[in-house]
Amino acid sequence: MSAIALTGAVVLLLFEVIAVIKSQKLMTLLIYSTVAEVGYILLGIGSGTYVGQTGAILHLIYQIIMRGMVFWTAYLMVRQSGTQDIERMKGVGRKTPFISTLFAFGIFSVMGLSPFKGSVSKFLIIYSCIENKSYFYAAFAMLGSILEAWYFIKTLHRVCFAEADEAVPSAPRKKKAVKEAGKLTYVCITVLALITALTSLYPETLINFSGNLATSLFGVQKLAELPVFDSQWPLVVLVPYIGAFVVYIIWHFLPKLRDVLSVCLCAATVVLVWMSGDIDGLSRLFAIVISGLVFLASLYSLGYFKNEKRNGRYFFFLLLTLGSLLGVATSTKFGNFYVFWELMTWASYLLIVHEPTENALKAGFKYFIMCTSGAYIMQFGILLIQSGTGTLDMEAVSAKLPMLAPGMLIAIIIMVIIGTGVKAGLVPMHSWLPEAHPAAPSPVSAILSGVLTKIGIYGLVRILFAVFGVGLLTQLGSLGKLSYTGMAISVLGIITLLYGEVMALLQKDIKRLLAYSTLAQVGEIVTVLGLGTYLGMVAGFYHVMNHAIMKGLLFLAAGILVYRLKTREIKAFRGIGKVMPFTAGCLSIGVLAIMGLPPFNGFISKFLMLYAAVDAGYWYFAALILLGSIIGAIYYIKLIKTVFFEKYEGPAVKEAPLSMLIPLGILTALILFNGLFPQYALQLAVSAANYIAAKGSIAVTAIPNIRIGWTFAIMIPMFGSLLAYIFGRRSPKTAGWIAVAVMCATVVSIITSYSQFDIYSFGFALLIAFVGLLNMLYSLGYMGHGHAQNRYYMFFVMMIAGLIGVATSKDFFSFFVFWEIMSSWTLYFCIIHEETPDALREGFKYFIFNYIGASIAFLGLLILTAAAGNFDMASLSQRLSGVDIGTASCAIGLMTVGFLMKAAVLPFRIDYQMHPATAPTPVSGYISSVLLKSAPYWIIRILYIMGGALVFSRLGTSGGNSVMMIVISWIGGITIVGAGAMALVQRGIKRLLIYSTVSQIGYIILGLSLGSALGLTGALLHFVNHMFFKDLLFLAAGAIMVQAHARNLDDISGLGRKMPFTLSFFLVGALSLAGVPPFSGFTSKWIIYEAAMANGQVFLAILSLLGSVFSMAYFIKFMHSAFFGVPSSNSESVKEAPWTMLVPMGILAAISLVLGIMPGLPLMAISKVLALAGLSAPAYTLFSVETPIGTGQVGVVTMLLLLGLVVGLVFLFSGKKKVRFTDAYTCGVNDIDRDKINAASQNMFEPAAKLIRKLHKLLVPIFGDGEEAEK
Amino acid sequence: MDILKLLVNILLFPGGLFAILLALFLLGIDRKLYARLQRRVGPPIHQPLLDLIKLTQKETLIPRTANMTAFRLAPLLGFAGMLAAFALIPITGIYSGLYQSGDLLVLLYLLSTPALALMIGASASGSPYSSVGASREMTMVLAYEVPLLIVFLTVGMRVGLAGGKFAVLSMSGIVNYQLQNGSLLLDLRMLPAFLAFLCCIPGTLGVVPFDIPEAETELAEGPLLEYSGSGLAMFKMTGGLKMLVLSALAVALFFPTGIGSFWLVNLLWFIVKCLIICVFSITLVRATRARMRLDQAYKFFLIYPTSLTLISLVLILLTFRMPS
Repeated sequence: MSAIALTGAVVLLLFEVIAVIKSQKLMTLLIYSTVAEVGYILLGIGSGTYVGQTGAILHLIYQIIMRGMVFWTAYLMVRQSGTQDIERMKGVGRKTPFISTLFAFGIFSVMGLSPFKGSVSKFLIIYSCIENKSYFYAAFAMLGSILEAWYFIKTLHRVCFAEADEAVPSAPRKKKAVKEAGKLTYVCITVLALITALTSLYPETLINFSGNLATSLFGVQKLAELPVFDSQWPLVVLVPYIGAFVVYIIWHFLPKLRDVLSVCLCAATVVLVWMSGDIDGLSRLFAIVISGLVFLASLYSLGYFKNEKRNGRYFFFLLLTLGSLLGVATSTKFGNFYVFWELMTWASYLLIVHEPTENALKAGFKYFIMCTSGAYIMQFGILLIQSGTGTLDMEAVSAKLPMLAPGMLIAIIIMVIIGTGVKAGLVPMHSWLPEAHPAAPSPVSAILSGVLTKIGIYGLVRILFAVFGVGLLTQLGSLGKLSYTGMAISVLGIITLLYGEVMALLQKDIKRLLAYSTLAQVGEIVTVLGLGTYLGMVAGFYHVMNHAIMKGLLFLAAGILVYRLKTREIKAFRGIGKVMPFTAGCLSIGVLAIMGLPPFNGFISKFLMLYAAVDAGYWYFAALILLGSIIGAIYYIKLIKTVFFEKYEGPAVKEAPLSMLIPLGILTALILFNGLFPQYALQLAVSAANYIAAKGSIAVTAIPNIRIGWTFAIMIPMFGSLLAYIFGRRSPKTAGWIAVAVMCATVVSIITSYSQFDIYSFGFALLIAFVGLLNMLYSLGYMGHGHAQNRYYMFFVMMIAGLIGVATSKDFFSFFVFWEIMSSWTLYFCIIHEETPDALREGFKYFIFNYIGASIAFLGLLILTAAAGNFDMASLSQRLSGVDIGTASCAIGLMTVGFLMKAAVLPFRIDYQMHPATAPTPVSGYISSVLLKSAPYWIIRILYIMGGALVFSRLGTSGGNSVMMIVISWIGGITIVGAGAMALVQRGIKRLLIYSTVSQIGYIILGLSLGSALGLTGALLHFVNHMFFKDLLFLAAGAIMVQAHARNLDDISGLGRKMPFTLSFFLVGALSLAGVPPFSGFTSKWIIYEAAMANGQVFLAILSLLGSVFSMAYFIKFMHSAFFGVPSSNSESVKEAPWTMLVPMGILAAISLVLGIMPGLPLMAISKVLALAGLSAPAYTLFSVETPIGTGQVGVVTMLLLLGLVVGLVFLFSGKKKVRFTDAYTCGVNDIDRDKINAASQNMFEPAAKLIRKLHKLLVPIFGDGEEAEK
Repeated sequence: MDILKLLVNILLFPGGLFAILLALFLLGIDRKLYARLQRRVGPPIHQPLLDLIKLTQKETLIPRTANMTAFRLAPLLGFAGMLAAFALIPITGIYSGLYQSGDLLVLLYLLSTPALALMIGASASGSPYSSVGASREMTMVLAYEVPLLIVFLTVGMRVGLAGGKFAVLSMSGIVNYQLQNGSLLLDLRMLPAFLAFLCCIPGTLGVVPFDIPEAETELAEGPLLEYSGSGLAMFKMTGGLKMLVLSALAVALFFPTGIGSFWLVNLLWFIVKCLIICVFSITLVRATRARMRLDQAYKFFLIYPTSLTLISLVLILLTFRMPS
């Protein structure tokens, strides 16, 4: 490079810096800036190449025209405002809209941006530097451009956009008579503007002219063709582009037509994109997503901007943004790609600052500077490609890549990652995103988040994976299977993900929250794409689409709330769901979807992404993504809680106008559609991935079969619940009876589909539906005076549907879908049904704990299915022995931990929290008795029926038992005693029962982990027995609670005389629970003790027997406090429960009795289940069970007891029959208040309770106090 | 046939009539000996029987605060439980236990029925004294069940490990083992467990020094306060039966060895053994000790008998080879 070039570089940098320093005065600034341009020209001339000199001359011509316009308009504005101090010129643009628009146009044109393409001269100059390998000069030039953008945007903000400060009096200006600009002036600057536009649109002539001039002036020969930066624009871009101008013009004549026209243009674009067959799969996917979301946003904008003046401009830029986005997505040449990229930044920037508040301007400034800087850096990379391969055509570049040196490639890759990463918002290039999203109008936020960040991802994928290809990236160096580049991208993604989630957690502004969440989601996608596998691509692309839908919905819905309430504070939205149910309902569905819960679209794509990560061998990426999701769940569930379940105290508001609701509805429908029928939309992602696979040498692998196994038994309650909701709106009774009918139908459908399932699934499903039916019937009485009963029945029945799905799934995908349906949102909504602060808090904790547990189980499930390459359980269990031992045991271990968490047997906070007392009692009973069983059900299935226990025993044994299983046994054993002890010291009616459940499930876990047929028999028998007697106890407790309005044992007393039936049913349940022979709990627990002893686990046997002693103690306490003693004053008017509540209790009691006396009945089914696992059940008859170390002659014991009772009765009534009623002995004290005469429940068993509290106290500082929930 | 045998077993021998008479006899001896130890003459040995008959002739008083059904039926539960329990314990040379089916853990559960009955009855009476008594009774259960169940499991393990299994829990299995290999009492390792069992007997029965639930000086008989007539008689009878069951259990678990094959000798030998157990664990103790406080008793059981039996258990686990 020559001295001229050096001078040029120094001049341009120096003067740009001076311009930055002097940026307070408009004219001075412009002059310095112009001098800096001279530097560019010198740089071009000095390059000594044809390209550079052509560029220099072109630049000169352009600058003369554009700067002329800029100076002229600037002069006019300075004259108008009477000062050239930019700070004081604030708001002048508002006074002279035409001139300031042209000024802005000029400035942008100078920077190389305009709605009319933009000039390529600077491009050529920088390219000439690169061609000469003088990279520093190019870098200087680029730096200059960035500085230029910095001060120009600052200036524009002040001069053109900002509102005039009211505080500053504009008196001095008024004194001077401002001379109006003459007509001639207007004409002249308009002509200049037109010339600028024309030269931008049709630059060829000018370029040729400059080329020729350069040849003749400097004598360089035209050795090569000029690089073609700009080529023919496709139709999908031209329609919105030209449409934008049409709209802009029509705005001035027919403002009414403008809105409709804009929406029509967007719609037309969607259609065009859909029809266009000549674009590849990758482009097609993104183009569809872009046009679709922009169309919906435009529809939404109709309502949003209804009463606003400036919306002509809005639609103009919206269409430009759409066009340029589509341009980026469809261009096959780097030149176009870059041009559109810049235009997109520019157009979307103007959308962000559409409401020119101080905040928005700041955000817009940040956005613009960061994105253009990024783009300039990417431009550098693109020019490097051009100089290295001599072409900008992507196909050609792809073929010629080997021409580039590895060092060069790496540099290009880094530049591309920076350029696209800024757009996508990857940390640490993200900081524009959380500023810009909230500042922009809501439809724009939706576009920013939904598609603008995605275009960053698109650029990344297009350049790195389609043009460069994974093969090439791997050649550059790799870490395991992953190339360094892929690793870098994934790590960036993970950082972004975690950063986004954590930051979102801290936000109080709804749009900022959503913005940070966008960061997180983008991070997820990028992480998975970085893996560079086929599955990763499919999953990532599918999530691109789904995230656009979900986040679009969320921003639009949040926008409505903001629109109505005029605030973005989440606090202000408390209870808004009650006044704006549609908006808030859609918002909630969006939130559930983005949390990755089925049956919504986010679940499917998140599932695929995690599967892809695990499949690629990077399970810790999956683990981190799950961790991120857990954090996300916290703020999202809080959002739902705030919006729906808190009390509304704001002003009276109406639902939003229809044009805003329609896009919401469409997006919600899409969420459901993509969730329920993922295969259709997935096809788009697959064809995009196929394209990449073909281009970038990736092996195509089979996509996991993500078909959800809907059977009738699941669909009936799933859709029946909707009936209960819809038809039960008026009459709660109707809702209840519909729910009962639906459950009846479910029972029948399960029985009739007997042959479809194995006995294990069938049995569990039948129990689920049957107990569900009883609880539904009971609810009719229990919920009699409750609110929103149709909602209650809907979620309850839906939860049961999910549970049936869990029981009957034959593949792991369906299983997990139903698992999440059952345990996440449906159950959450049931738990918080009462909407008290207590319920909300406990429900929230439940949700998070459950989410964590499910995530752990999910990770294990993914590792297992990815290793075996199959979701189908039958074939998976066959392949299990082929999976290497580490992976298999890790997978099964994780699943077991997750399930144990669900089973509420991991001690301390998790146990109680899986099962909050604040739920309506029928639901509590159902959770305790049925729902929590889903976990041991699956542990048994995986360990025994699928052969997981063999994997564990391969891992290491001790004394004939697998070590892992022994650990589980001890968890079970400790839970039995720990929770039993906790139950002993509870005062809350339900809390006592809940801890009891935890303890009883400990028995099941202990039994199943003993690894013997005997233990398994005991576990399964207790599984069944506990289901009935615990539900019975809960229903009896519920009857007390609802009839006596009590929550604590001390609130009530002496109810036994008022509620004799309830008392008798309760006693049956309690004796079963305490395991008094021959009641049902006895046999099953007895088998478990025997199994523990048969395995030599004497200490576990001691623990479990001790648990039984505790169970007797707490039942005595319950019975004494609630049913016996002198009726306290508030128990005086209590009546027996209605028949709808008594009948289910009676049925449950009868079943408990029968099961107790005849353990052979359930054992018939259980022995078949054992046969599935290849085990043989212990010998049994209808009335007895025989174990290797003892015999449980339940029938004989029953007979003995009955005979004993008869003997006793004879004795009792053979004596003197006279009966006299007396007062109880009170040692002569007759003036004690009857509320105080009963021994209070907390005073029962004092020494034992004291000991337990003491031990518990040691744990409280670590794990928190369990007592807080019910005060 | 089965039914007939069952009827005999529960109505006449060893449950039913025989059990009741034997229990009353043991009670009578206990009272007599107790009196002698206090240098009193004491009642005749058949006094408990007379008491029983007298009680049945009294009218029944029911407190107005009571839950009548539960209050009246509660005594039956413990009575039936004890009758059933006794039918499950083999008596060497005479009775092999019903169907060889008696299982140690079933017995453990049946043993808790009298306490359960007492608590339900007490609670149902509506008297504050009774409810305090019931609470104390449950606390005692929480205390003595711990060593008791460990003793049972220790015996089960001891027998099982000697036979190449981990445990044997069937009564007949345990008794037969001892008949062939000698009593467990002769095994020094089992001595602590035996002592622990002896400690548990008075606790289980609620006699001095563990008569804390009834504590007539504080609670005026506690759970039994409101009972009268046949109901009270039944509780008293249940108490006697429980004493019999516990001593028979101690015999079966620790020294079931018989003498010869003549049934009468064996029966007498069995009665003598029961008597010895009763005298040592009940009469001597209650004649020499004063009542403990509830918290003292709670601590006592959780520390001494529990440690004793754990010593046995650990010794057994250490000295026997584990089956693979």
